[in-house]
Amino acid sequence: MGEAIVITSGKGGVGKTTTTANLGTALALMGQKVVLVDTDIGLRNLDVVLGLENRIVYDLVDVVQGNCRLKQALIKDKRLEGLYLLPAAQTKDKTAVSPEQMRNLVGELKKEFDYILIDCPAGIEQGFKNAVAGADRGIVVTTPEVSAVRDADRIIGLLEAEGINNPRLIINRIRPKMVRTGDMMGIEDIIEILAIDLIGVIPDDETIIVTTNKGEPAVYDQNSRAGQAYRNIARRIMGEEVPLMNLEEEGLISKVKKFLGINR
Amino acid sequence: MIQGEFFLDNTLMVDKTLRSGQKVNYPGNVVILGDVNPGAEVVASGSIIVLGTVRGVVHAGAEGFEKAVVLAFRLMPTQLRIADHITRPPDDELVGENFSPEIALIKDGMVVIESYEGNLGKLLK
Repeated sequence: MGEAIVITSGKGGVGKTTTTANLGTALALMGQKVVLVDTDIGLRNLDVVLGLENRIVYDLVDVVQGNCRLKQALIKDKRLEGLYLLPAAQTKDKTAVSPEQMRNLVGELKKEFDYILIDCPAGIEQGFKNAVAGADRGIVVTTPEVSAVRDADRIIGLLEAEGINNPRLIINRIRPKMVRTGDMMGIEDIIEILAIDLIGVIPDDETIIVTTNKGEPAVYDQNSRAGQAYRNIARRIMGEEVPLMNLEEEGLISKVKKFLGINR
Repeated sequence: MIQGEFFLDNTLMVDKTLRSGQKVNYPGNVVILGDVNPGAEVVASGSIIVLGTVRGVVHAGAEGFEKAVVLAFRLMPTQLRIADHITRPPDDELVGENFSPEIALIKDGMVVIESYEGNLGKLLK
């Protein structure tokens, strides 16, 4: 029996879809059987980020309405054996699916897969209710901005009301330099308000933009710091203890020191 | 029954943090064992005690009870109301500096905030 994890944030544009794609890919790279479910009906993106847009024939709405079998709508990833996508419909809206139908659908998927990652739409309306309906756990994504943290707080409350207690937090796009100069909220500031367990911090990283536009998640890129952060989070999801990575960019001097073996 | 001057005789205990969008409305005193986050709201016809940080909106004595107080480990509300008095922190105040219990109450027709030293009775004078 697999585990369903909803990835949500409240606010739009903080990196839910990128997080879903990267965590799914990282889990599949570790040999897990993973399905990514895009619940953003009408504004689907996950297929684009994974580079699978041109393979969609059936979608989530077709499955719940009985137009096709679940197996027919699942798209196999082009690179990884164990990774699948259940795309959202683009020409319908959120009301095409009910929470009850989502619960049944996720229940079906749990029989087949180790991990079901549900990419939640922004907002707190029907789309959110659909996305959380079948989930066992929650991951809340936020960025170090007051507005995103405020929305994350609201979402944590709503998740608790849906019976998803103690969701984990991902802080995305942090810039250590700006935190150090006091121009950006730090990890501690955010944790103090949200008071939930941190599962990872993703540094602001230009490679994400490049890889996302190419339809190729950053976790494939061994040089991407964000990719490394996502790989670490995937290991934590699987129950491993992985220390938080050092967010500071390595300067030339520390690189030389490391090379010479004189750390600190 | 022993009843102080600042409280009504019924009290609601809330054993969690109130998050953005959550609201407690109670015809009596409210005790929150957690924080009141920004975007959350507590409205009580009696007094409000928060064993945590207040960052949201609190309204004590909502039905006109002017003796109502707001007491918190850390008082940095978006807005604080007692009876029909509405206050907010000054725009230029440094937030997050103080970490000592404070109490808000009406004195001479004005809402004042004082550090709380564990003696409610003293405030009667």
